[in-house]
Amino acid sequence: MKEHLNQTAGVRIPDDGLPFDRREFLRLAGFTFAGAAVAGCDTARVEKAIPYLVKPEEITPGKATWYASTCAGCSAGCGILIKNRDGRPVKLEGNPEHPVSRGGLCAVGQAQVLGLYDSKRLKQPVMNGSPSDWQTLDRLILDRLKTVRTSGKAIRFLSTTVTSPTESSVIRKFLSMFGGNHVLYDPISQSAILEAHALTHGMRILPHYRFDLAEVILGVEADFLGTWLSPVEFTAAYSSGRTLEGNPPRCSHHVQIESRYSLTGTRADKRHPIMPSERVPLLMELVSLVEQKRGKTSAAGLGQAKPFLAEIAGKLWSARGKSIVVCGSNDVDSQLLTNRVNELLGNYGSTLDLQSPSYHCQSDERELQTLIEELRRGKVGALFLDGVNPVYDLPGGDDWKELLSNVTLVVRFVERIDESAQYAHFVCPKPHPLSSWSDAETVAGTISVTQPAIAPLENSRPLVESLSIWMGKTVSSLELMKEEWKTTIFPRQKTEKNFAVFWNQSVHDGFAVVAPRAHRPSRLLSSSDRKFSPSVTNDGGFQLVLYPKISMHDGRHAQNAWLQELPDPVTKIAWDNYAILSPEAAKGLGVESGDVVRLVSSDSAEPVHVEVPVWIQSGQADQVIALALGYGRKGTDRFTAIGPRWIEGRSSVGPDGLVGVNAAPLLQWKDGRLCYERGGIQIEKTGRRHALACTQTYHSLDTPPLLGQGTGDRRHFVQYASLASYTENPSAGSGPHHSSQSMWPEQHQYKGAHWGMMIDLNACTGCAACVVGCQAENNIPVVGKDEVLRNREMHWLRIDRYFMQNEDNLDVAQQPMLCQHCDNAPCETVCPVLATVHSEEGLNQQVYNRCVGTRYCANNCPYKIRRFNWFDYPRNDTKENMVLNPDVTVRSRGVMEKCSFCVQRIQEAKIAAKAEGRQVSDGAIQTACQQSCPAHAIVFGDMNDRASRIAKLIENPRSHNVLTELETRPSVGYMTMVRNRPEQSGDSSHG
Amino acid sequence: MADGISVLRSPLILGNKTATQVTEDVCGLLDRGPGREWWYALAVSATMLTMGVVAVVYQLLTGIGTWGLNNTVGWAFDITNFVFWIGIGHAGTLISAILFLFRQRWRTSVNRSAEAMTIFAVICAGIFPIIHMGRPWLAFWVIPYPNFRGPLWINFRSPLVWDMFAIGTYFTISLVFWFVGLVPDFATLRDRAVSKFRKSVYGFLSLGWDGSNRTWLRYETVYLLLAGLATPLVVSVHTIVSWDFATSVIPGWHTTIFPPYFVAGAVFSGFAMVLTLMIIARRVLHFEEYITLHHIESMSKIIIATGGIVAMAYMTELFVAFYSGNEFERFAFVNRMLGPYGWAYWIMVGCNIVTPQLLWFRRIRRNIALVFVLSILINIGMWFERFVIITISLSRDYLPASWDFYTPSLVEVATLIGSFGLFLTLFLLFIRFLPMIAIGEVKGVLSYGRKKSDDAAPPGTAHTIRVTVGSPGGPQ
Amino acid sequence: MSKRLFIAYFENEEDILGVTRAARESGYDIRDVFSPYAVHGLDKAMGLRPSRLPWICLGFALLGAAAKLWFQIWTSAFDWPVNVGGKPMASIPAFVPVTFEISVLFAGLGTVAAFFLISRLRPGKKPAIRLDRATNDRYVLILVENDAGFDASAAAALCKEFRCVHFEERLEDEQ
Repeated sequence: MKEHLNQTAGVRIPDDGLPFDRREFLRLAGFTFAGAAVAGCDTARVEKAIPYLVKPEEITPGKATWYASTCAGCSAGCGILIKNRDGRPVKLEGNPEHPVSRGGLCAVGQAQVLGLYDSKRLKQPVMNGSPSDWQTLDRLILDRLKTVRTSGKAIRFLSTTVTSPTESSVIRKFLSMFGGNHVLYDPISQSAILEAHALTHGMRILPHYRFDLAEVILGVEADFLGTWLSPVEFTAAYSSGRTLEGNPPRCSHHVQIESRYSLTGTRADKRHPIMPSERVPLLMELVSLVEQKRGKTSAAGLGQAKPFLAEIAGKLWSARGKSIVVCGSNDVDSQLLTNRVNELLGNYGSTLDLQSPSYHCQSDERELQTLIEELRRGKVGALFLDGVNPVYDLPGGDDWKELLSNVTLVVRFVERIDESAQYAHFVCPKPHPLSSWSDAETVAGTISVTQPAIAPLENSRPLVESLSIWMGKTVSSLELMKEEWKTTIFPRQKTEKNFAVFWNQSVHDGFAVVAPRAHRPSRLLSSSDRKFSPSVTNDGGFQLVLYPKISMHDGRHAQNAWLQELPDPVTKIAWDNYAILSPEAAKGLGVESGDVVRLVSSDSAEPVHVEVPVWIQSGQADQVIALALGYGRKGTDRFTAIGPRWIEGRSSVGPDGLVGVNAAPLLQWKDGRLCYERGGIQIEKTGRRHALACTQTYHSLDTPPLLGQGTGDRRHFVQYASLASYTENPSAGSGPHHSSQSMWPEQHQYKGAHWGMMIDLNACTGCAACVVGCQAENNIPVVGKDEVLRNREMHWLRIDRYFMQNEDNLDVAQQPMLCQHCDNAPCETVCPVLATVHSEEGLNQQVYNRCVGTRYCANNCPYKIRRFNWFDYPRNDTKENMVLNPDVTVRSRGVMEKCSFCVQRIQEAKIAAKAEGRQVSDGAIQTACQQSCPAHAIVFGDMNDRASRIAKLIENPRSHNVLTELETRPSVGYMTMVRNRPEQSGDSSHG
Repeated sequence: MADGISVLRSPLILGNKTATQVTEDVCGLLDRGPGREWWYALAVSATMLTMGVVAVVYQLLTGIGTWGLNNTVGWAFDITNFVFWIGIGHAGTLISAILFLFRQRWRTSVNRSAEAMTIFAVICAGIFPIIHMGRPWLAFWVIPYPNFRGPLWINFRSPLVWDMFAIGTYFTISLVFWFVGLVPDFATLRDRAVSKFRKSVYGFLSLGWDGSNRTWLRYETVYLLLAGLATPLVVSVHTIVSWDFATSVIPGWHTTIFPPYFVAGAVFSGFAMVLTLMIIARRVLHFEEYITLHHIESMSKIIIATGGIVAMAYMTELFVAFYSGNEFERFAFVNRMLGPYGWAYWIMVGCNIVTPQLLWFRRIRRNIALVFVLSILINIGMWFERFVIITISLSRDYLPASWDFYTPSLVEVATLIGSFGLFLTLFLLFIRFLPMIAIGEVKGVLSYGRKKSDDAAPPGTAHTIRVTVGSPGGPQ
Repeated sequence: MSKRLFIAYFENEEDILGVTRAARESGYDIRDVFSPYAVHGLDKAMGLRPSRLPWICLGFALLGAAAKLWFQIWTSAFDWPVNVGGKPMASIPAFVPVTFEISVLFAGLGTVAAFFLISRLRPGKKPAIRLDRATNDRYVLILVENDAGFDASAAAALCKEFRCVHFEERLEDEQ
């Protein structure tokens, strides 16, 4: 607690492991305020450091300053706002003005701020495994570069997709100076899309997908709401295409064809599980069906005819030009067929934009393979590794030990020592994106600015600075960036004549919109002569699908505790990866969830095998194994000690001391690309078991068959309806009506504000951005795998996931569940010490320092949303504690806690309004969950204010509460989920 | 002495004791000191107690997380044990107060130890609501005391607060009741004590009691009043305990029949526990002539009766759940029987409904070994009743997403064992240092069921004799 | 002046009952009767009036109830009114249980305290008269030889009639 108080003052910093002293920190803290002084408004840029001792007038300690920047969690480049308190970034939020992300921020993005204060970050340059300093490092690198050049060996720069114009130009300059080339690959690669477009449109290009324009959406293995390319952008677009209350009302039709049950699949109106081997034939079938519609006679597609395809083809055709087909497989044939369908439907130019394409993925594994070949033949003299982690994320990554051993100079740019860094001669620490300058052009024409909100907390140096220093001139990354913008970006716009103004404006906004670089895609080249073949041949064995998990992606965030503890939206499992099997397959094998099995590849020369626990998941195609990448990362052994220590406590890591298992060895090279699918996998039992931390023990709204009157008694907590019945009756799907009765006189009117929340289940995808957003805002501790196993996770906001069989479709309902702030709260009545009481504005308040911890309130909560501090959950990492929100108390052992409706934000807004002598305007208060929601599914406001959005939504026929029969009168409401289906029967009211 | 036996009643105390013999039998034990069995028993119970103490200390130092509880099941072993022990306590009050009001004179030889049992059981029970808190060191916050935190009081709407007052009152009244009963016996001990130390100690405790009949008169009035107060009190205590659940919104907890159901259950389990203890005591301390088969039979009969009420309560619960038509209510009870914790439910039914039926048979009632076993079974069953109500209802309430299971941790098990250790230790110390049979009261019923030889009786005293024989005597 | 006491010991319940009644009928001044347990009927034999403790008990019960009910209403509705679960500030039905418990507590403690006070019982107090075996198996009758007319022999005869085992005379100040 003392720690916490001190930090809120912003002028104390624990000394452990920090490369600067207290006075220095004051300077760094001042750093950000100077920027505020320059731009003189709530979001600002940073130029040079001014001692905090000279206090800038604009800054009031305790008042937050905001900086527009760009999220570096993945290559999507969403716009963010960095909340600074007394010089410390404490919270990231989506930038509502940003044209790509439109205000949302995913779970990974929300968690980035934690990494900033990670004490495991590299603190100074490392040379051959031992700490060093920049001068010596620079000298030696330059020496070696000389020797390399004289030796005539090649220089290679290997990195992930570079979306930053500045960075790529600097790299280009560097390589042109020293002679070498730039090899790009993404661990989760989509290069097949580029390849396919190279074949069909004459250039390696990634279309900009416009789901907001699509009326019919066909997703094939593409988890575009979860992990595919730019999920936040796509989620916003997708939900804008399904606004039932919009004018005109819209509800796109979404069909998902996939092998595993993805987050996107849970939202689909129709979902069809297929095996990877079925995909290409199915797409060919689709192509020919569409061609028939188009009147073009064509050879009937080979492969088995799927009855549902005709229907899809019909829907697509009727919405031609306003439909979209996306395929997430990194297989050229599939992508070619996808392009073909889109071309036939005339979607290019409308829902697939090639004029201003996306730059999310520039991966080219062919070049990577050539590089590996060069390395093998010892042709490479110098290798620069940035971002990518070949030792970890490539198949046969172990070979890289000797591949790198015969390279004269291996330089690794990285934030933490990782698998690849340990084989590098020189490791150059990179600053955290929140403490460095950069930019990103992920969609042509939209260039986002990354500006630092704090000086680097370690002795690090941005990549571009290192490169330019090695090129002989010492320039700051800011200067490099301004230079780049002046020369290439500023000219691309006409509106602003003065660069300084343009620059300031861009930094202030966090982005600039300019003309996209010219792309001249040729019109579709016929590819009908091509012989298509499935990426996976069905040889009777299991077919493996390697996928990125929503929290881990390619594993670059494996050391982020918030993301490790985030339950997967579909399986609800935290802290592990696992081999997902369909119930039938599991029965056939005689395995249960938690059994550790050995996956053996029989198709390759030397069989690869990986041992993982099984998780049984209905809705997945039989004969398919789904396994998440990004686990088993070096450094996750740090979580051995996370969580409470006591006699029955268990560790959060697996037997090998790491969290999860690395699945990369199972990746395959297939005609020059990383292939994430693989046939002929054998499953062997090991007899061992591994507990999987699933936050749900029961997964359906139907009571267990033995214990109920069968499927008849489905509980009415989630309301859903088909579009047909909704259009007929907007309140379709509503459960049994309960008249409100009370034995008490109505004594409590809410005269002022009466806060309430409405969650639109029709927009919510269950992406869990809100969960991490809440965690970051409210200082929610990480409790560790063992505590999650014991169902003691601390998330104030959880997302209940229910499977339900409606006709032939296994649907999933996602229901965010948080404190309902009931006006007749059962928890309040039973607390002996009045530690939880009701505020005059309808908030259910928890008084931490009055709570004695009887847990009676939690028992009596029908929604079970109260969270208890079973232990003093460790907060020993004093550096990491700097991420704590100064406005929110850190709770101690033995105290109950729960959602507070972000009362600190309510107060802030009320104070601001009072200062200006006005009412709190509607929308001025945004709860953390609401702010982070990419689908804008959450609305918060004053229910007493007739004009407010929330008041209007309550009037909406779709709005309802959970458990009205208990007369708890919740302040949190939900809006019926509507699926675009013809049949009337799929309604909760019928169920 | 067959000719001395009344035709009307069989004597309550066997062996044709005289008042002196009674004094000797009861007090002599305290002078002589206990035998080997007593020491063995103490060794065992002290060990159990130590286990409990270690567990609780560890839990207080580490956190309540060392119990098996979770976000869904916030109460399990802790409150189960609490309700169980409170229930045990009730038999003591019932014997000393209610049977007294009903003029059940056989109670005299067991009521002292039954009351002691009440007090010890309430002590055991009282521990759990305190240690089950997340921050036990702040337990005193549930007491409404004037403070300087501005107006800051407690929530008198909370059943936990009702509990606190109910149990506090119950403990105090039981203690006073017990002590008042002890005063005349302390006097007896004082007057026969030889060692100076004993004389002073017993003298201090006996408050200068001299057996004056003016005092006896008031004493009886007070005894009657306390009995009259304790009777509604004991009913109210378990009623309030049952309200912890009945006033909640959790299906399986929210049940209006809980108060009578819980009280009956309490008496049921309490008598089982009295039987267990008495059967051991009479054996170990050779009180066969005071605690006779007659006592054991009468208590068995009470068990049959209360067991019947409990059984009926179970049926009613199920019927109401079905008849209510409430999906959650129905599910809660089907889940009890057939859900993952079904085994617990069936243990409960087996022990609480089937077992007592055996006691219908006189042969079984008079078979001490068998009654002993049955009494223990019933205690197990009643513990499971509370576990079933508390844990199963919590583990699966409304939102299926929040359903979960509960498994006790070592610490919890050790704590339960420890509570038994505490109970037994206190009881053993009691029979070692205090007269475990109410001397004064037993003397009052010596003549019960016994003819007086008319020889040398003064004229006109025959009437008095009949009075003595016919009318309820004892310390009324 | 110190009074002389006539102390007679008996062995049987019916004897003490008989002798007490007889002594009272023949006008002796009975100081007190001592017995190891409450002998039923002795109060009538001695002609004692029933105790008034029940009224004290009732008084305390009412006092406790009133005080507690007031306290609950005052704390939750007046001194610190706060919205708890949407229930009224003074949720009277919820206040009943505690009110009852407190009234019982007051009644019980009050009665016992009154009893000790009236009977002059307090920790460490010595018995007024040393009487052999009075707390064990003897019934003792004590007459006061208040007037010159008291005939010890007559009293002795009366006691013998009821199988008196032993009698003695003491000066009151001997105790």
